[in-house]
Amino acid sequence: MIRRILAIIWLSTILAVAAAAPLLTVYDPVQPAGGALESPSAIHPLGTDNLGRDVFSRLVYGSRMSLVMAGMAGAIAVVFGSLLGSWSAVSRRQVDAVLTWSGNVLLSIPGLLLAMLFVASLGTGALTVTLAVGISAVPGYMRVARTLMKQIRQEEYILAAEAIGASSLRIAWRHIIPNARPRLQVLATTQLAWSFVNTTTLSFLGFAGDPSTPEWGAMLNTGRGFLLQAPHLALIPGLAISLTILALHALGTTSRSHTTI
Amino acid sequence: MVPISYRRSSQFLISIARRLFESLLTAWAAVTFTFLALRMSAGDPVGVLLSRGLASPADADALRIQLGLNRPLATQYVDFLSGLPGGDLGQSLYTSRPVADIILEQLPYTLALAGLALVITLVLSVFLGIGAAWWQRKPVGRMLQSVSGTAIALPVIFVGTLVLWAFRAIVTSGFLHLPPTGFQLFIPALVLGFSNSGGIAWTLQAGIQENMQAPFFLAARARGVRNGLPLLWHALKPALPPAVSLFALEASFLFTGTVVTETIFARPGLGRLLVQSILDGDFPVAQGLVVVAAFVYTVSLGLADICSYFLDPRIGREV
Repeated sequence: MIRRILAIIWLSTILAVAAAAPLLTVYDPVQPAGGALESPSAIHPLGTDNLGRDVFSRLVYGSRMSLVMAGMAGAIAVVFGSLLGSWSAVSRRQVDAVLTWSGNVLLSIPGLLLAMLFVASLGTGALTVTLAVGISAVPGYMRVARTLMKQIRQEEYILAAEAIGASSLRIAWRHIIPNARPRLQVLATTQLAWSFVNTTTLSFLGFAGDPSTPEWGAMLNTGRGFLLQAPHLALIPGLAISLTILALHALGTTSRSHTTI
Repeated sequence: MVPISYRRSSQFLISIARRLFESLLTAWAAVTFTFLALRMSAGDPVGVLLSRGLASPADADALRIQLGLNRPLATQYVDFLSGLPGGDLGQSLYTSRPVADIILEQLPYTLALAGLALVITLVLSVFLGIGAAWWQRKPVGRMLQSVSGTAIALPVIFVGTLVLWAFRAIVTSGFLHLPPTGFQLFIPALVLGFSNSGGIAWTLQAGIQENMQAPFFLAARARGVRNGLPLLWHALKPALPPAVSLFALEASFLFTGTVVTETIFARPGLGRLLVQSILDGDFPVAQGLVVVAAFVYTVSLGLADICSYFLDPRIGREV
């Protein structure tokens, strides 16, 4: 319970920070605002980076990019994954087999590698990283959604609904979706955590394009070059990434124990 | 153990052969997908060289002909597939060297890292998983469980950077003298092994805890199986198949793990090669690496399934 509360506090804080970024910062996140590699001080609460940019500003503005990328990637995975999964669960056996097999083929390439394949195909940039992470997570989500829907379809209340002549649309809308929702939500939270890991990792590897754009993964990568002179340059964005992932996982696991998957 | 009669029966052999065939089929589909994904890209591969001013339009045309990119897609595909069994993966856009040679050159570095990481994963996950299950009501058990939880949740990019920073600081302070090879190999392997061990440890723990409540465990206790290792073995053995599958999964995931660790620790290897080839737009190298990785991955998953037939007779019969 404490973990859940802490997770909610952290996530709402970074959401608020991302929304109110211009109000919280004094310096421009992409323009030099002082000497290079300055230690934290009253003027620059988290110091400056190798190009003299204010780290606090970059961290605050960086939350926007990181959250939007992970959020969009997660949304792609969840929306398309559950659509394809439920389609597969309710369609004829041949369609189901083709969809499942295609999903399994894509799952046979490890997620990050699949995302990197998409980046190689579409070119580098924040948008392609987002798309790549989102699309590469679709087959996994689809598989779980399909299994879940299949399970629910076999329940007796579905049979009862069919027996009293409910239409298939009504069954899907009134029975299958409401019963699948809590578990799909838990999965969505975990999915968001993985999207966050993968988008920041890809941007850490330099695939998100322009490194001057503030983003946590790219900041961690820049800071890596100055570990001994200015460890905070890498550790602060790294900590922000890790706390966000821990919070998302905590939210996922605690709500799982509430709904008993 | 699996009854001898069953292990020798043709039904068992058929299920193994079927699983192998399935994994080869999946590998083929994954290879095809990789090929298509890179050909269907918005700009053609040589266009990257053009846009960066690395080739004149005439050079680009010559290169297209040399690489066979001007031919129909189907012909390219047939050529690509027929080259695979002989280890022909095409040649690099930049150096014109065979991709297979480039990969083989970098392979030993990644094998050393991944191999050591695998050993570390095995030791850590067995220790963490069994410990957490056996001492589940004691603080030690809960502590071990949260260690594996941390391993799952913390991203490799952060763990790696943290460890790199800590060791750099220790070494420069002169407190500890580490041989450079140890620093170059052992520490990245430790990071990778730790990150991979969490999931297996949890699976193992969950399995053991479940088995400890199963009737056969109670029966074993009632028969007077000694507390300690003999009793632990009763709970452990049925929990092994899923852990073995996951271990094989992690073994093939090691490749994506090396992408990150090799970058963080500035080690040569296949992961670095992949990152660099994508950033440079050297598509034959990227394609070769993904193809090899997908192949290794699917085949090792198939082998893991076959291993679990031997560990748990129930699995083989269901097929």
